[in-house]
Amino acid sequence: MSDGTDNHDQAPGSSLWPIGFAIGIACILVGLVISWPAAVLGAAVTIVFGVLWIRDAARSHAPVDSAPAHALVDGTPSEAQLAAEEQHLETYGRAGFLTLATIGLGGVIGAGVVLPSLGFAVLPSFTGEGIETNPVDLGPISNFPEGTFVITSFTGSKRQGDVSRRTAYIRNNGLSAEKEPSFTIIYSRCVHLGCPIQPNGPAFKDQAKTYKDVTLTPVKPAGFGCPCHGGAYDTEGNRTAGPPVRSLDRYAFSVADGNLILGDHFSVGTVAGTAADAVMTRYPVAYPGVHVDGIERFLYPLPVPGAGA
Amino acid sequence: MAKSARQAQIEKAALYPLDWTEERTGLVGYTKWFLFRNVPRDVNWMQTLGAATLTAFIVQATTGVFLAMYYKPDPDSAYASIQNITNEVTLGWLVRGMHKWGASLFIILMFLHMARTFMFGAYKYPRELNWITGVILLVMGMAEGFTGYLLPWDQTAYWATVVGININATAPIAGPFIAQFLQGGAQIGPDTLSKFYSLHMLVIPGGIMALIGLHMYLVIRLGVTSPPWSPTAAGRPRDEGEEPQGYGAYREGLIREHEEDKAS
Amino acid sequence: MASKKVQEDRDAFKRYKEDVKKEGKPFFPYAIFHDTVMSFVVVAVIIGLAVIWKFTVDDGQPGALGPLYEKEADPGTTNFIPRPDWFFYFLFYLLRIFKWPESVVLGTVGIPTLLLILLIMLPFYDRRPERLLLRRPVAFVAAILVVISMGVLTWKGATAKEGSEAVGEVPTWAKEQGFADNAVAVEVATLFAESGCLNCHVYLGAGGQNLGAPELTEEGLKNRGIEWQVAHLKNPSSKVPGSPMPSFADLGDENLTKIATFLEASKGPQK
Ligand code: HEM
Ligand code: FES
Repeated sequence: MSDGTDNHDQAPGSSLWPIGFAIGIACILVGLVISWPAAVLGAAVTIVFGVLWIRDAARSHAPVDSAPAHALVDGTPSEAQLAAEEQHLETYGRAGFLTLATIGLGGVIGAGVVLPSLGFAVLPSFTGEGIETNPVDLGPISNFPEGTFVITSFTGSKRQGDVSRRTAYIRNNGLSAEKEPSFTIIYSRCVHLGCPIQPNGPAFKDQAKTYKDVTLTPVKPAGFGCPCHGGAYDTEGNRTAGPPVRSLDRYAFSVADGNLILGDHFSVGTVAGTAADAVMTRYPVAYPGVHVDGIERFLYPLPVPGAGA
Repeated sequence: MAKSARQAQIEKAALYPLDWTEERTGLVGYTKWFLFRNVPRDVNWMQTLGAATLTAFIVQATTGVFLAMYYKPDPDSAYASIQNITNEVTLGWLVRGMHKWGASLFIILMFLHMARTFMFGAYKYPRELNWITGVILLVMGMAEGFTGYLLPWDQTAYWATVVGININATAPIAGPFIAQFLQGGAQIGPDTLSKFYSLHMLVIPGGIMALIGLHMYLVIRLGVTSPPWSPTAAGRPRDEGEEPQGYGAYREGLIREHEEDKAS
Repeated sequence: MASKKVQEDRDAFKRYKEDVKKEGKPFFPYAIFHDTVMSFVVVAVIIGLAVIWKFTVDDGQPGALGPLYEKEADPGTTNFIPRPDWFFYFLFYLLRIFKWPESVVLGTVGIPTLLLILLIMLPFYDRRPERLLLRRPVAFVAAILVVISMGVLTWKGATAKEGSEAVGEVPTWAKEQGFADNAVAVEVATLFAESGCLNCHVYLGAGGQNLGAPELTEEGLKNRGIEWQVAHLKNPSSKVPGSPMPSFADLGDENLTKIATFLEASKGPQK
């Protein structure tokens, strides 16, 4: 049907511009890793060859001799016209090229705007930005009487201020079998969905102390309870009732100059033994409701980058 | 009564801006078509619920825009700015109160409107996409509720958000990633509030407006359904050959159907 | 070729369009009037609620529609009881129903996602052209069930009282059990309320029902004696073999005796 100017002899393919274009792209990519000037050079090469390529391609695709003016019968194109239209597409004329080029350029523009914004919106959450590395000083060990829990509220990050207020239930276990100081430090967030757990027992508000911005209130709990969906824990943080999926999170600690220093936050499957003899596996901090052991842990196979220590 | 030349002149002058606009935009014609297009004769009071939902949304958008002039999305000042709006700024309590209670009403109305369309079977051919855009609007409306709940930065706000984020975290595989994206880091931190604020006042409302546009376009294009129990429902099945013929025939049909009803 | 159903649907819609054209009424002003009346009601209700909310607040005491705001957020709190906005109460209560660790994900994402998919796909599995609800028995029953269960879940969520809310209930107990004037009794009741018994047990309507724990409102009627109670609290399974109740020995003898005394004195509401 279409015996126009456009046929396969003149199809692109002999042009070398795409190769230059590809080299330019490669330069950009390598430059991004090695040095900025190289990337800029690559960009320039890409643009130059890109323009040449487009010009070349556009020139070699003169308009197709279109099928005879559409004489529609009954509003539907005839067989012959359909065949012609198909051929028209197949011959890949100037219109076809411009269509693709428009879609392509549109895509590039879209990507240029959307990708950086999207990256900005999403990536910072996963780089670990804003995780505080300065250890928190909870004050002299003498503030933690042996064998009782102390409700300890502290500011996790001086820079972030009050948003980083946290509470831990800290029990001084005395000296361990190896004659090392031993503390049980339980994080105050329920491992069902993160509500603030409460100690089950009387708090001694009249014996409350403060050290800098740390507040310390002794308490005598028989365990911990969650006010949201009925989660309950014993004094080692093991679940005794309700929906929590693991034992309460804990903090590591160290002692420096007689002061208790808060260490890494970690998650726990279950705790065996009690107080100084407690044995548990430390897992990286997991979100509440996320199983760290047992078969259900396979529901959450991928570690989340930047989730903190 | 013939108009005086003077009256005609005034009328022409008054209509001139409309003509001027119509000539350049064609919008006057569209508006006229929109206003004077026919809807089924028997539409029911329950079918005002969609418009009511739209009104509630407009109330939210309007009051929200003005609340944004006084609200400060930063953990150190958010709570104080809410107190300031409620207690100090003239009429602040009213605008905040309208936004707060309007939110509940908006959600209630969406559910009622959905119940109405369910009851009428209005989601069936050809209105499937009304329903689907509707459900997405419902979800986005509830997402507005969730993100807005954090903004006062009081105890309820904070802890409901903690639980909400952690609910997302329990979704298999992707859950922890979603949660971490929502709180913008490993913990609810200084940026979480401004992120929720941006979602609450820009991202989600933008989506809602676009979808309301689509929803309304479909409603106008397809028309609203008649109550299914109506004997004169538009599109009711008929015997062969019986064709409605204008209002007179419609009245006759009404009377005939009524008598048939009585007879049977 | 279009199937018979598709053809029927199309014919019906064509008929609809013709009917509306011939028999319908103009949107303006007939239908828009009703819309406007309804919108007026909506705006009036919103303003009305805002006014009631603000003007029933009395000297910082929450008004008829609750407080103007709660206390400022404290990420380190140990005594706050979180609750969601009312339209998430159903989900909140759903989470309390799934109180086994293995089932958490069902309540948090499983069921809500399933319901959402069912909702959004509705036009694709309910394809009969029938629109009258009474002639759509499945839809009718499903609608009633959904409304009832959402209603019940929302209501239960709104009224749920967790064990840790019990401390706030002590004055009510004092009134109902008639010990309001007895300072020691009030102190002991407070100790009982804050010791976490009500994470599992129910006392005068407050408390979570966990592990099948019995209600304690009338525990005193069993006449077990203070000694039995203390021993049981220290080691529940020594008195009730196989009991899933955890030990409360950490509270110390003095506190345990107080709690035991409280239990023995609990003989149901004194009317
Ligand atoms: C932002 C929220 C919404 C707005 C502003 C809105 C607005 C409207 C309006 C004004 C109508 C015209 C008919 C009427 O007033 O009943 C309508 C119709 C409709 N809406 Fe919505 N709607 C919303 C949400 C929803 C939801 C949540 C659903 C269902 C899941 C839904 C499904 C429908 C359907 C199926 C129709 C067609 C009704 C018919 O033909 O009789 N809409 N909507
Ligand atoms: S958050 Fe603690 S039980 Fe649900």
